[in-house]
Amino acid sequence: MVKFFKQVTDLKHSWEQLTLAVWSKYPNPHSSHVLTSDVVDRYVDSRTGYLYTTRVFLKTHNLPKWGRKLVSNNEAFVVEHSVCKPNEGTMVVSQKNLSHAKLLLVEETQKFIRKNELETTMVTKARITSNIWGPLCSKIESVGLKRMIEGTKNSCNGLLYAVDKLKTSKNAFAFKNSLKALK
Amino acid sequence: MSSINPECNKLKKDYDECFNSWYVDSFLKGKKSNKCDELFKEYRACIMRTLKEKKIDVLIDESIKNSTVNKK
Repeated sequence: MVKFFKQVTDLKHSWEQLTLAVWSKYPNPHSSHVLTSDVVDRYVDSRTGYLYTTRVFLKTHNLPKWGRKLVSNNEAFVVEHSVCKPNEGTMVVSQKNLSHAKLLLVEETQKFIRKNELETTMVTKARITSNIWGPLCSKIESVGLKRMIEGTKNSCNGLLYAVDKLKTSKNAFAFKNSLKALK
Repeated sequence: MSSINPECNKLKKDYDECFNSWYVDSFLKGKKSNKCDELFKEYRACIMRTLKEKKIDVLIDESIKNSTVNKK
């Protein structure tokens, strides 16, 4: 079984600021369940100028009681693939769990599209798939979807927190000037 | 934010700082520069040891291979 979720939001930050914030999103108070973050692969395609990145996160999850019987530990590895296309003003960031993926695969994709110099459109899509048969399958997916919607909200708040932090950090002045020079 | 291996935290921090300034000052401006490549090589070698121990490296490679985002 599969469940879907989609949301479109306009954010009052430039595309450059938001995509920079993606890289320093963690830690933030809305994502205390994210324990570690690492870049495992990154390159710029010399032909297109696109930046490809793969990151790995270790996250904890609070499972309901019936879920704890299915999963022995409460930590999960999550992988994130992204492609950033500066000339087109788009960035796609896609996360999915590597651990317990047969039980419940949660895939979340965010696309950042430059709307104008000051605003960015964020399209969030989530897909939840469970390979367990029987009544538990639907239960697992429902819980997964509910948490996904909460998670999407937290993820967005975490990103906005990171943008604000960048704007007020000690490097803010340098970044602001650099970003201004881009226009 | 900590690395999967806390022993790599210093390498990670140095690389992240380099990357953030590269992103703004070179990448977004369309300028070519590989000033962070050496730092990334060192940092990556450090974390890959841990990811191999945890047998996550195989899952990551598979995910990169199958990802639609990574398709050129």
